[in-house]
Amino acid sequence: MLWGVGTSSFGRFPEHRVESLAWSAIREAVRDAGVSPGDIDAIVVGSVFGPPGVATRVQRGVGLPGIPMWMVENACASGTSAYHEAVEAVRRGRFGCVLVLGIDQMSTLFSGAIVPEATDPEGASSLPLPGLYALQAQRYVAEYGVTPEQLAAVAVKNKGNGADNPRAQLRSSVPTVREVLESRMIAEPLTFLQCCPTSDGAGAAIVGGDRGNPRDLRIEASAMVSGALWDHRSQDVWGFASVERAARQAFAQAGRAPEEIDVLEVHDAFTIGEVITLEALGLAPRGKGAELAPSGHTARDGAQPVNPSGGLLSRGHPLGATGMAQLAEITWQLRGEAGARQVARHRVGLVETMGGGAAGMDGNACVVTILSTE
Amino acid sequence: MGELGVGRPTKRRAGSAVGGLPVADPRPVFDGAAVLGTRCAACGYPSAQQGPPWCPVCYGELAAERFAVTGAVWSSTVVAIPVGTRKPPFGLAYLDLDDGPRVLVRLAEAEVLAPGTRLAITGTDDGDLVAGKVAGKVAS
Repeated sequence: MLWGVGTSSFGRFPEHRVESLAWSAIREAVRDAGVSPGDIDAIVVGSVFGPPGVATRVQRGVGLPGIPMWMVENACASGTSAYHEAVEAVRRGRFGCVLVLGIDQMSTLFSGAIVPEATDPEGASSLPLPGLYALQAQRYVAEYGVTPEQLAAVAVKNKGNGADNPRAQLRSSVPTVREVLESRMIAEPLTFLQCCPTSDGAGAAIVGGDRGNPRDLRIEASAMVSGALWDHRSQDVWGFASVERAARQAFAQAGRAPEEIDVLEVHDAFTIGEVITLEALGLAPRGKGAELAPSGHTARDGAQPVNPSGGLLSRGHPLGATGMAQLAEITWQLRGEAGARQVARHRVGLVETMGGGAAGMDGNACVVTILSTE
Repeated sequence: MGELGVGRPTKRRAGSAVGGLPVADPRPVFDGAAVLGTRCAACGYPSAQQGPPWCPVCYGELAAERFAVTGAVWSSTVVAIPVGTRKPPFGLAYLDLDDGPRVLVRLAEAEVLAPGTRLAITGTDDGDLVAGKVAGKVAS
């Protein structure tokens, strides 16, 4: 069961110590769960850029000495990978109450886009992450006739949602489709307003057994898959297969079909990412995912709202914290606590986080979890 | 606080081109006539990876292989932001080498190419594979 969640604000906070971001998220999650810090018997931390030792420095302030604690790095899926390990550990009876933390502080590392990793073949060839997603998008433009306007509609929708999220990094203005397309080009066809910002932030959750508390959410499924070869044999674009693998496992565990999901938070680091993810999750057939935002299906008042928080495009993307921020939004939505962002139907929610960037693999990891109020 | 982090090494290995320490070059190797890699003796799987312990598909034995420099575009883009020392605009494509692996190449001309466009690797620039269109102007 998910007992409680908390997050920091999201933005660029180079003046904040990294552990203070974590402490604000942990404080909120512990209070939300209604537990005492002393009830926590393990800590799992997800982070990409650390810094090294960040988990222990966080631990120093919360007074949980000596308990099992470990760190997970699965690219952008680090936070939800940590969550998945906590869920599995509780399910198997190893622990009774686990603190999960996702954290990254990117403002002290990058002034703009993430500098590619020179030890990776594609990073060494100057392929930036927006370039990797642009290669997906160009394939979709050629294969399925996806239009720039359809991609831009994802940004307009998510930034519109984010305007109502007081913790979001970008919430000052909601662009039109035309403004999205006229923002400066980053990697064709992706323009600036179709790319998530680099961010700082933290998200935390308390996971435990069934204690009969009506506020707790049932974790119907949690699936984590690592990457598989993505090569000359692959007919799907990069990333698709890893999301599909995790989704199949999660829907099988939950015994649910994609159309039963009321509200979703998915990995929209770039507009095309949301399109492809929704196809891989089964909300639309291949090549049809781009119709979901323009048709209103994924709007906040649509049949299946996607990224009511504003998504990565608006909330920001502190890599390890992102999955936990998604989980917090789905928790608030399912409990009916999402305020101005509240969706009408909120019985079953889904979180999908996909991390990637290692050349020749269809992802580093993907996590899909399904939660409900039942 | 503005100076925090400026001029000091970070966890990210950005490479010596952008002020980091040098790293071993992980990119596919072009020897002037072929792309070097391995092919599985059992299943025939081609790879431009350097030195994997066995075939990542069937665990069979690997033998050194020389791959054709020609192939077809899977997808391409033009990057419009600077990346490291690389100045925009520059074109990148996934190129499926004939009977070989999919490799990332830099395009001789920065333009989006339709999937299936025939390219040939013509050389390297700063270690990047550079490919141009086979029919028409080919960079040398």
